[in-house]
Amino acid sequence: MDLHLVAAQLLNGVALGAILALVALGLTIVFGLLGFVNFAHGAIFTSGAYGGWVVYTKTGSFVLGVATALATAFVLGIVIERLLIRSYYNRPPEDQILVTFGLAIVIVETIRAIFTGQTQTFETPSWGNGVVNVAGIFYPQYRLEVIAVVAVTLLAIYLLIYKTRIGLIVRAGIDDPLVVNLLGINVRRTFMFVFAMGAALAGLAGVFDSPLLAVNPDMGTDVLVQSFVVIVIGGVGSFGGAIVGGLIAGEIISLATAFIPDYSQALLYVAMALVLILRPQGLFGVVGRS
Amino acid sequence: MIRRPWQLAHPRTAFAVMAVFLIIFPTLMSLIGGDVTLASRVLILATFGLGVDLIFGFTGLLSFGQAAFYGTGGFVAGYLMLQHIVPNTLLALAIGTVAAALCGVVIGALSLRQVGVYFAMLTLAFGELFFFLENSPLRAFTGGESGLPGVPRATIPLGFTTIDCTSAVGTYAFIAVIYFLGYLLMRRIIASPFGRILRAILENPERAAASGHDTLRYKLVAFTIAAAYAGMAGGLLGIFQGYMPPDAFGIDQSGEIIVVTVIGGAGTLIGPLVGAFVWIYLQHALQNVAVISGVWKLILGLIFVALITGFRRGIVGGATALLRARRKRPA
Repeated sequence: MDLHLVAAQLLNGVALGAILALVALGLTIVFGLLGFVNFAHGAIFTSGAYGGWVVYTKTGSFVLGVATALATAFVLGIVIERLLIRSYYNRPPEDQILVTFGLAIVIVETIRAIFTGQTQTFETPSWGNGVVNVAGIFYPQYRLEVIAVVAVTLLAIYLLIYKTRIGLIVRAGIDDPLVVNLLGINVRRTFMFVFAMGAALAGLAGVFDSPLLAVNPDMGTDVLVQSFVVIVIGGVGSFGGAIVGGLIAGEIISLATAFIPDYSQALLYVAMALVLILRPQGLFGVVGRS
Repeated sequence: MIRRPWQLAHPRTAFAVMAVFLIIFPTLMSLIGGDVTLASRVLILATFGLGVDLIFGFTGLLSFGQAAFYGTGGFVAGYLMLQHIVPNTLLALAIGTVAAALCGVVIGALSLRQVGVYFAMLTLAFGELFFFLENSPLRAFTGGESGLPGVPRATIPLGFTTIDCTSAVGTYAFIAVIYFLGYLLMRRIIASPFGRILRAILENPERAAASGHDTLRYKLVAFTIAAAYAGMAGGLLGIFQGYMPPDAFGIDQSGEIIVVTVIGGAGTLIGPLVGAFVWIYLQHALQNVAVISGVWKLILGLIFVALITGFRRGIVGGATALLRARRKRPA
C-alpha cells in the first residue's frame, strides 16, 4: 500500500471530519439545550455557503464571504426561532422534526428559486491555493487552513460554553430551564441565542466546505445525514462526541474513498449500525439521557 | 365513543365509496386537466403512504428511511421481471414485497430500540445506506445511477387466458385494484386488536407496556407491514414507468412520502390518498403556470409547514373536525 496515499487520505479525513464536527456540534448543542433536532440544519449550511459565495464572487474577499455566511446563518436562525421554532418547544419531537424538515424544503427551494439549481464553483481563496510539504507529502494548503479554522472555532465554542457566564446559563438551562427562569434569567433569549449560534456554526461550515465541494442548493442534504451519523456515533448532546465522531466519520469516508470506493459512503452507515448495536448511547453519550 | 376520522363511515359503505371513487378517479382527473397516468401516480404514492400512515399516524413512529423499502421492492420485482427469472407480474411483485418486508425486520430491529428523534435519525441513515448500496456495490443488479430501464408492464396469466394490463388504462386498473386491496387490508389491520394496541402505544407507550404488551414487538410488526406496503408500491412504480429509477431509494423520496401523508392527514387512513393527490396534482398544475413553475415545491413546502403548525391531522383531519363541529351545532 502506498504510504503517501494513506497519509494524504488520513489528512483529508481530518479536514472532512473537521467540517462534519462543526456541523454536528451546532446540531448537538441545540439538541442538548432545547431537546430539539433541527432537520433544517443542512439547509442553513447551504444558506451560509450561498451567502458566502455571493459576497466572495462580488468582492473577491474570502473574509467578507465568511462574515456574510456567518451573518446569513445567524440571522436565519433568529428569524426561524422567533417565527416558528419557539411555538414548538412544548410539542412532541415528531412535530419538531416535521416542522424543521418542512422549513428545510422552504429554505432550499427559496435558494433554488433565487440562484437556480445550477452547481456553482467556489474558487479556493488565493492564500489557500498552494501546497505544503507535510513530512514529505505535498498537501493542499487550503485543507490545512480549514482544519486550523475549525480547531480555533471549536476552542472558542468550548470556552464560551464552559468558561463564560452565558455558557453557565446555557448549561444550567440544559439541566433545568424552569429553575433558571425562576432565578430571573431570560431563558427564552438564551434559547434563541443558542439556536442562532448553532445555525451560525452550520453556516461557517458551509462556506468553508464550498471550495472543496462546489455550491448547489442540495449540498446540505448529505452533510445533514452525515452529521446525524456523527452524533449517533459520538453520542447525542456531547461536545467531545461531536468532535471525535466527526473525525471518525471523516476518516472512514476518506479512507474508503481511496481504497474501497464502492463502499465509500455505505461503510459510514455500517459503522453507525455497529456503534448502535455495541453501544447504543454512542461513544460519549450518557445512558438514559433523552 | 368519539369516532376517529377513518371510522366515520361504516366499513361496507367506506369500501363501496372507495371502489366507486377508484373507478371514476381517472375521469375526475381528466376533468381538471390531468389524465389516467397522473391518477396512477397518485395511487402508487397512496399505497406507499398507507404503510407510513400505519407506523406514523397510528403508532407514532416517524421514519425517514421508507425509501429503502420502496426501492428494495421496486428493484427486486423489476430485476426479476426484466431478467425473465419471474415473468409473472403478481409473483414478482409479491417477492419484491417480501424482500422489502425482510429489510423492514432488520432495520426495524436495529432502529426501534430508539424513540423519537433518535429513531428518525437512524431510519434516515439506514435509508441513505440503501441508497449508496444500490448506487455502487450492487450496481451489477441495479444498474447503479442508470437504474433499470425496460421493466415490463403488468400481465396476469390465468391459465386459459391472460389479462393484459399493458395500456395506460390497464396499468391504472391494475394499480387501483392493488391499492383497493391494500386499503381494505389496512382498514382491517387498524380495526383489529393488533391495531388497537398500536394506538395504545401511540397514546401512551408506557401504559401500553405496563399493560403487559411487548410494545417493541408490536412496533416491529407494524414497521414490517409498512415496509411491505412500501415494497409493493415500489414494484408498482417500476411497472407503471417501465423503468426503475435509483431515485426511488433517495432521501427525497423518504421525505416526500412523509409530506404526502402529513398533508393529507396522518392517522386518517385516506390521508395518504388525499395528500398524494394534492402533491402530484399541484406539482402538475403549478408546473404549467409560467411564473411559478419553478417554485411548486416551495409552495408545497409552505403548505406543509402551515399544516403542521395549524392542523396536526392534515387536510382530512381538518375537514372532519369542521364536519363534526357543524353537526354538533343545533339546526
